[in-house]
Amino acid sequence: MTTEPLPAGGDARRLLSEARGLAHRVRRDQRVTWVALLVLAGATYVGIPIDWAGMEVHCSAQGDSSVCQFARTGALLYWPPALLLAYAAIAFCYVRVARSRGLGARVRPYAITGIALTVLFTVAWVAARLYFPDHPVTFPQWALVFDRLIAPWGTIGVALLVLARLERNVALLLFTVGYLVVALAPIDFGWHMNASVRTVWVPQQVINGTVLLLGGIGFALARRRQR
Amino acid sequence: MSSETGTPDPQAHPVNGMDDIVHQRVRLGILTIAHEARRVEFGYLRTQLDLTAGNLSKHMSVLEGAGLVEVEKGYEGRRGRTWITLTPAGHAALTAEIERLKQLISRVETIDTPEDR
Repeated sequence: MTTEPLPAGGDARRLLSEARGLAHRVRRDQRVTWVALLVLAGATYVGIPIDWAGMEVHCSAQGDSSVCQFARTGALLYWPPALLLAYAAIAFCYVRVARSRGLGARVRPYAITGIALTVLFTVAWVAARLYFPDHPVTFPQWALVFDRLIAPWGTIGVALLVLARLERNVALLLFTVGYLVVALAPIDFGWHMNASVRTVWVPQQVINGTVLLLGGIGFALARRRQR
Repeated sequence: MSSETGTPDPQAHPVNGMDDIVHQRVRLGILTIAHEARRVEFGYLRTQLDLTAGNLSKHMSVLEGAGLVEVEKGYEGRRGRTWITLTPAGHAALTAEIERLKQLISRVETIDTPEDR
């Protein structure tokens, strides 16, 4: 090590490259991506039985078939506090882990985005709950994608995009794009449970939770290998 | 802190604006890590920069004296910990240094074309 200044025109490229390398190492050491994904996977799994049990379904016979009206009261009551708690827990873990590694954390914008999206989806769901029973509408396909985007599973993905940007984490970005495709398309791998209205959304939620869980395990293993 | 840490003049040769405090491998490393980490502990810097405590302290004193970093000492349990934060002047100095290094590289690349050889 030298305390002498480098020759001014000398090895600028090496200095810059070293600075970039250090910045990259810091960002890598600040990451606890697997914690975020596992917390969100847990929240998704816990939400499945609550959504199922808390759904209000009213079916009436119309001719040969029956028409059902439903309201996902369980999901509406569960997801806002669950997501707020999840983001608080993730932020807490990030700060604790970064601190134990001797670093500050860069998780605040992620938590704020997550909380803002939670408020947005809650407002949208409450408004829909108040408006649509008296004004039935058939939605086009793009509106259903938008509906899924502002649903809890969609907002989880959007907030993860923010986390990927904050961490400059290309692996997380790719994972999140994949997750969003699965959650928004939606891709159910041919698994349907149409026996009753209550179970229609179960496969997709299980798949969303499993993608998050597998992502969390993958990032944890990758982190372990780095160390 | 010298006035050299301001925005570089695009007309001047980048070497003229270099600040000796920042234009040094270890100190540039400290500023880079502190910028990226928001807040960094002394031990982390020591490990990443592969320095002895004494050596790192000397560099920290230079940066602190120039007002580029703030040093906060405290305890976590019984363990003493020293946290380093970049000041706004430190942030400006780091940005200017990186900008000058990029200018220097691009100037060298512009001059060093096959036609010039």
